[in-house]
Amino acid sequence: MSELTNPAIGADPNAPSGGFSFDNVHRNALLLQRQFPSPHSSDPNASANANSGDRSILPLATKTGTTIVGVVYKDGIVLGADTRSTNDTTVADKNCEKIHYIAPNIYCCGAGTAADTEKTTELISSQMELLRLNTGDGQSRVVTACTLLKRMLFRYQGYVSAALVLGGCDLDGPHLYQIYPHGSTGKLPFTTMGSGSLAAMAIFESDYRDDMDEVDALRLVQRAILAGIFNDLGSGSNVDTCVIRVDGTVTMGRNEIRPNEVGPLRDMVRRSDVLNMREGTTAVLRSSFVGRSGVGVSMADVTVTAMET
Amino acid sequence: MSILEYNGAAIIGMAGKDCVGIASDNRLGIQYQTVAMDFKKIFKMNDRLFVGLAGLATDVQTLDQLLRFRMSLYELREEREMTPRVFTNLLSNMLYEKRFGPYFCEPIIAGLDEKGAPHLATMDLIGAQALAKDFVVAGTCEGNLYGMCETLWKPDMDKEVLFETLAQALLASVDRDALSGWGGVVHIITKEGVISRELKGRQD
Amino acid sequence: MFGSSLVIGDDILDIGSHKFDAGRTDQRAIGSGAMIPARLALGEPGQFDVPDVPDPAHFCRNNFASACGNGDQGQSVKFAKGTTTLAFKFDGGIIVSVDSRSTMGAYIASGTVKKVIEINPFLLGTMAGGAADCSFWERNLGTQCRMYELRNKKRITVAAASKLLANTMNSYRGYGLSMGTMITGWDGTGPQLYYVDNDGTRLHGRYFSVGSGSTYAYGVLDTYYRTDLTVDEAIDLGKRAIYHACHRDAMSGSINNLYHVTRDGWVKIHAIDVNDMHYEYLEEKRNAMASS
Repeated sequence: MSELTNPAIGADPNAPSGGFSFDNVHRNALLLQRQFPSPHSSDPNASANANSGDRSILPLATKTGTTIVGVVYKDGIVLGADTRSTNDTTVADKNCEKIHYIAPNIYCCGAGTAADTEKTTELISSQMELLRLNTGDGQSRVVTACTLLKRMLFRYQGYVSAALVLGGCDLDGPHLYQIYPHGSTGKLPFTTMGSGSLAAMAIFESDYRDDMDEVDALRLVQRAILAGIFNDLGSGSNVDTCVIRVDGTVTMGRNEIRPNEVGPLRDMVRRSDVLNMREGTTAVLRSSFVGRSGVGVSMADVTVTAMET
Repeated sequence: MSILEYNGAAIIGMAGKDCVGIASDNRLGIQYQTVAMDFKKIFKMNDRLFVGLAGLATDVQTLDQLLRFRMSLYELREEREMTPRVFTNLLSNMLYEKRFGPYFCEPIIAGLDEKGAPHLATMDLIGAQALAKDFVVAGTCEGNLYGMCETLWKPDMDKEVLFETLAQALLASVDRDALSGWGGVVHIITKEGVISRELKGRQD
Repeated sequence: MFGSSLVIGDDILDIGSHKFDAGRTDQRAIGSGAMIPARLALGEPGQFDVPDVPDPAHFCRNNFASACGNGDQGQSVKFAKGTTTLAFKFDGGIIVSVDSRSTMGAYIASGTVKKVIEINPFLLGTMAGGAADCSFWERNLGTQCRMYELRNKKRITVAAASKLLANTMNSYRGYGLSMGTMITGWDGTGPQLYYVDNDGTRLHGRYFSVGSGSTYAYGVLDTYYRTDLTVDEAIDLGKRAIYHACHRDAMSGSINNLYHVTRDGWVKIHAIDVNDMHYEYLEEKRNAMASS
């Protein structure tokens, strides 16, 4: 076996073998179990830091408290999403992308834990590409993507928290699926997901009609997302849309509507001159410059401590 | 107290015109006890790429070592330096691999890409990326850092103005946070090289 | 929600000056504020408004957890805490030295808190634990001391004053008050120093340090404390102990306020930024190393 085909030779021992790694789980369980020393009740000498016990010390992951929607129209699918991602009550990203690529003719909106929606759609996208290459079929089927996604999510019993709106067009026409974090799915003419789903659904329920044309469908989706942006605190910023047509063409409408543009407002505020930092404002203890690939030691250079033997 | 706040940290990444900066405080504490005032939280990956790690100190150091290993291996195999975009994906995947047993660390990535344009990224502890054009922050006084950066940042700062802005944003933020401070360090990455400066900060 | 009379008046800061509402004597305590009964018997349980529940102490412990030292996390009402205070007796009187930082969790709420409470020209109290509890009850102590003076035509002793406060604390034991204070002053028996806390503990001693940074301050005090310190040496010791605590303790910092208690009452000596001290001491260390 040649070196090129034998995976054992020259393999990176640390390279991931695929799938999740549970290496830190035991350590983290011990860390979280360990209550930080709780100061004696009513002891004014104690610092007030200790964990009150009623709230987990497990850090929060970034969520996309989201409005995502999808609708079937006469000639295809329109998907829509807002662009806010949050970490607890802080807006972590004011303009993130929630419409993920699955295949040239399939896209997927994600709500839930940001990392989960991102990585799950990424993984299924690559599986779909491999499947296309293996089958020699030029076109992915939407139902295949839906099955792969639901299998993945069901396997992790809802712990991979991704709520998805999957839409695309294949030789059977337009298809729209909603997929819940536990792996259940539904095939619907119109759907909404995320914390803003109620606001968006209100628009759909009142104004959806079968066999709309593209202009009407796009407008409906935009209105639904705007309803989420304005009425749901977990959603915000801009409207992203994606039109997938049965003829195979796709139009990504990134930031198609920007109702929260702060640029002009900011320009109206007179910037105090105090905010313009002049050279020499900051007291510096030590300064160094390291030229590109030049000599000299940067303060950030690697310092390797020799092993004590 | 969240485990991300156990040791304390404040890190900012900020973009300027043809340059990018990254700054961190120096404190290592065990909850409210300050243990060291010279703890390194920013790591040089290559001449145009720095990463700052805020969170549990043990994971900060472990991740630095793992990243250095992966960077070196990439350079040996590919005979080229890793671009910030590739690095961001590498780190994101490393973190997501440990989705159910994460490293308690929030990274900030600051670098110049192939074209010399600023690249700024941050992610949560399980690798959800957020790319930014202006600034990214992480640490125990995230709210303070956001506030300072939102007011002080402006587009197209040159390297000296970028340094002052970063330094002032950092120092002002940590002065309202008990868990970070005790001096800081700023690195400004330019096409010509890296300027590194140690800041004089409050020692309480 | 509230009874016929509002417990807190139009001016929310004006606690403690409201006239006793005679119509309320037979009512259960309602509301959340404080009021001073006409007969000035504050300190007896039931005079300070408590929650209208079967077990007020239990209710306070559960709902104001941080005031019981159980931490601020997950609680909407965060109390200002975190302190280093110290006081010591020496041949030249008493030194009272404190920091001025107030923290709410990791957030630094203020850097200019007055943690030495000037009860009267001869009595000083310090503030550690709940800022509101300390300032309210030490002001209350002030009124009690003044009443003593008017009744007995002589100044109260520090021993008696501290006991009044300790009795108050004892009567509210378990209600969730948080207070760690040192009561100092000069009376007929000379300079006196007492430690009183919310458990009702009252201790007499030569030197004390209270607060989250107290361990660091004790380290300095234990090393350098002598009874025969000169006034200048004593001031320097008080200053240094606070500096070292502020340097290492994240919840202490900002300004060092230092008082000197003498036969003629207390004098405020200085208010110095501890950060300036850092560089002053750094210089001192360098010079010492250079000369040796």
